[in-house]
Amino acid sequence: MVRMGELAASAGSADVLVALGLGSCIGLALVDRRTGVAGLAHVVLPASEGHSAGQNRMKFADFAVPELIHRVVRLGGRKQKLEAVLVGGASMFAVSSGTLEVGQRNEAAVREQLEAQRIPVIAAETGGNRGRTIRVHLDDMRISVREAGGKEANVMTPQGALVGA
Amino acid sequence: MSTQYSDLQLDALRELANIGSGTASTALSSMLGRSVDISVPNAIVLPMPEAVGTIGNAEDDVTGIVLGVLGDMEATVLLLVSPRHAALMCGMLGVPADSELGESALLEIGNIVGTSYINALAGMTGMSIEPTPPSIATDMLAAIVESVLATRAAAGDVALLLDSDLVVEGEDCSVSFLLVPDQGGVEQLLARLGL
Repeated sequence: MVRMGELAASAGSADVLVALGLGSCIGLALVDRRTGVAGLAHVVLPASEGHSAGQNRMKFADFAVPELIHRVVRLGGRKQKLEAVLVGGASMFAVSSGTLEVGQRNEAAVREQLEAQRIPVIAAETGGNRGRTIRVHLDDMRISVREAGGKEANVMTPQGALVGA
Repeated sequence: MSTQYSDLQLDALRELANIGSGTASTALSSMLGRSVDISVPNAIVLPMPEAVGTIGNAEDDVTGIVLGVLGDMEATVLLLVSPRHAALMCGMLGVPADSELGESALLEIGNIVGTSYINALAGMTGMSIEPTPPSIATDMLAAIVESVLATRAAAGDVALLLDSDLVVEGEDCSVSFLLVPDQGGVEQLLARLGL
């Protein structure tokens, strides 16, 4: 279970990494499909700039993305083979302009970080106004997403992405 | 910034929440034409990752009505109602649930209840604060709560939640009520109370 501002990586074939009910936050999954290593970060805010030091920096995209790469690589993932799947970044409330921006800014910040590290985004379920749950299934290297009120559906299988990026 | 609050400060915040939700319950009562009780409020300080789980099950469907608070204290008021309780309240108002009318009735309940809570806080503390227009969403509890926390409490690592329940008498129907201030907002609130 990866909660707000947390991240986790695993090479354990029985593990499922999950972030439940992502709203404006981004669930970022990194996978090396061949070696079976994957990680998941629950990013809350786009940038650490302007926030006081000494707090959990992993809630910020600019710290979470490099750290997640580091953790996945440490478990045997190959950096050049990593692929990213993004889920979340919704605007839950129509009127509150603050919330509206955070989701979009989170997605932009995570994509920017990934681009700087040359990691391709192969699938994304982002934006809109629905909450989403992401599950990274290590046993069969599959990533599934469930939207509020919907059914769970795969967005990535060992053969590749099933939705656009 | 892992700000910790003293027992005295938490007591004072709880008392504020108590009076605020008392006023809010009167407003709800006059809308529904029923007596409304309030639970003893909680003032909870939590590490951010634990906040959602404390409020409820992450993937449960819930209707959330949010009002921003602007002025001397920045905060968000969040009302949470389960779908069953939302339907009961719509029933009391004579409008169909799961319809546009039902949604706008809930939005209006949130507006009146939230605004009366905010006005009570303003009256008690002498702060100049006012609500923004409400908005509503029905979704996974975690998605609603984390979106509020992301805009408010994310500047620090802890979330302060002032939490109380409004319970409609004679019905199994309740609304839970959360005030989520910014870090700076909490300090402002405590300063006004002389703590």
